[in-house]
Amino acid sequence: MIEDRRTRDRAATRALVLGLLGLWFGIFAPFAIWTGARSLQRIRASDGTLGGATSAGVGLFAGAIGLAAVVINIAYWFLAS
Amino acid sequence: MRLLRYIWRTVAVVLVVTLAGITYPGAVLVSMIVRLTPPPTASGRVPQGALSWLHVAHPNGGVPYIADDQGRMVLLHGAIPGGLIDFWYGGNPTRPDPPPYYPIDRQAYDGEFCPANTAFMPVPPLCKDDIAKMAALGFNSLRLPLSWSLIEPQRGQFSQAYLGRIAQVVGWARDQGMYVILDMHQNAYSRYVGAPADGTANLRYYTGAPAWATITDGFHSEAYISKREVNPAVLEANTNFWYNRGGIQDEYIASVAFLAQRFKGDTTVAGYSIFNEPLPGWNLPPGFEDLLLFPFYRRVIDAVTGVGDGLPCWSGAVMSAVCGYRDLGVHDLRHLFFLDTGLLREVTDFPTHLGLPVSSYPNLVLAMHAYTHIYTLDSLAEQRPDQAGYPFGGYEQSYSLAEREAEAIGAALFVAEFGNSPEWDALMLTNQLQEEERHRVGFAFWTWMENCGSWGMFEAIDCSDHSPQAKSSGCLRAARERLLSRVYPRASADPTLTYQYDANTGAFSLQAHARPGDPSTIVYIPPAVGGDVTTSGAASQSVVPGADGSRLVTVSPSGGTFSVAVSAAPLSLTGCS
Repeated sequence: MIEDRRTRDRAATRALVLGLLGLWFGIFAPFAIWTGARSLQRIRASDGTLGGATSAGVGLFAGAIGLAAVVINIAYWFLAS
Repeated sequence: MRLLRYIWRTVAVVLVVTLAGITYPGAVLVSMIVRLTPPPTASGRVPQGALSWLHVAHPNGGVPYIADDQGRMVLLHGAIPGGLIDFWYGGNPTRPDPPPYYPIDRQAYDGEFCPANTAFMPVPPLCKDDIAKMAALGFNSLRLPLSWSLIEPQRGQFSQAYLGRIAQVVGWARDQGMYVILDMHQNAYSRYVGAPADGTANLRYYTGAPAWATITDGFHSEAYISKREVNPAVLEANTNFWYNRGGIQDEYIASVAFLAQRFKGDTTVAGYSIFNEPLPGWNLPPGFEDLLLFPFYRRVIDAVTGVGDGLPCWSGAVMSAVCGYRDLGVHDLRHLFFLDTGLLREVTDFPTHLGLPVSSYPNLVLAMHAYTHIYTLDSLAEQRPDQAGYPFGGYEQSYSLAEREAEAIGAALFVAEFGNSPEWDALMLTNQLQEEERHRVGFAFWTWMENCGSWGMFEAIDCSDHSPQAKSSGCLRAARERLLSRVYPRASADPTLTYQYDANTGAFSLQAHARPGDPSTIVYIPPAVGGDVTTSGAASQSVVPGADGSRLVTVSPSGGTFSVAVSAAPLSLTGCS
């Protein structure tokens, strides 16, 4: 068995939590995108010493969906009302 | 290791997509689909009735409005009688769950008979004479609050007796040419939330759900800060309803369908008010409104009309915002659905939701409750209404924002409740009525009659006397008659018309524009108003006097701008009758 000895980037978990919260509360979505993108950047630049790319990526993805919902909703409100 | 990572990524993405489906992204997506779905059309023979069918007209770029079968904007003016509400009877304070006090059997109200009133109930019984009195004040509608606990007293068993009683009141209204809004009423969820542990039940005004649908999970029932809604048992019961615990929301939907099945061909019924003053329970805005309340409205509309918006979901358990509801076979495509904005909006006079489209069904009405300075934040801070620091936009704030909310949802606007203590009539009632005129919205006044409380249009009975009383009320309050029995346009082809009524002088003026061939504008003048009527501009008028001294002015436009005026004259109020 090969043990994954990489250190996990702490911001990756933060991005995941913010991204999931952003689905309910759109206010968190931009922070999820920002945190997730920064975390991915650090992980890629670490030459394999930092882990958590999946969490960061999923957080960024969830944040993007949450933000899209907010933007569509706000745009709709101003166009329709 | 690579395989594990691949599986974890796949699971995570599936999880996010699933969560997105049941939260805001899913709700927004379904709402946009609903917005783009062509509205259903009622086919087959149009059932004829005593009154014109009402619908919601959707002008291009304009605010939707309630319209009659000639396409004219219709303004509904009315009051709210509470006699059919299953209120808690306070004659025995140690008993938290007494049976309904006023008879449900319609025969108890036959002819001119009216059961005895009692100070132990918050309101008097509703009788035939009440509807006649409403019509005499110029009301062309009434909002009739009903109780789920009387519609479905046992799970799955719907009361034909109560339905007969409702039909009786609808019949009385039909005889007077008045519309009825059937209102699924509740206050503090239910009168079965339980009494405080010390046994001193005071559940006055609690009403709504039957005992079997009141799931409090053992939370104690006690109204904190003297507000019945700030009660742990009430909050828990509401939460359980919104999450459809034990399928109770399914039963509620079945109750509305039961009601609609009976009245789907009845023109006297304007429509259904789905849920009065929804309380979020432990949920927070705007998630409550967008993810629970308005999707619930969509499901009720799906069930009653069969329009099939939203995705098919399992019922009987929690249903997410994307869920629609199965067609319950009623196929009522001609009535209005009144969507109450919720209690938090009432407290803030500000939208507590994001205004997502609810349904492709076109006949939706956003039902706002206008209680500025009564339940708004300033009143919670104990500021005087005439010195209040909130709402920042005054009375206008709630109306202008509600108009935008309604437009976003694709609904007409209606003030389903407003009212105040009589000492504030000159300030609050006057301002609310001015806003209603300015925004061209109809209203239902809370309340018609009230025992011991002070908000009714009439003086209350002697509340120190707890024996059965023959009288429903005292005198008609002069200020209320002066303000609420108004000159107003009942119908007009111009939805942008402007009108003003001065309740002090009886003077009225209306300005409108019409194209050649447009249907007539109808202006109602109550018996108390005696000024001369004149029409100028591109229209002619005919005035038909009513038997009660009222006048109905029919203004036939020839194309162009016209105005109607009633000159000032001393009001002859009826006062005590």
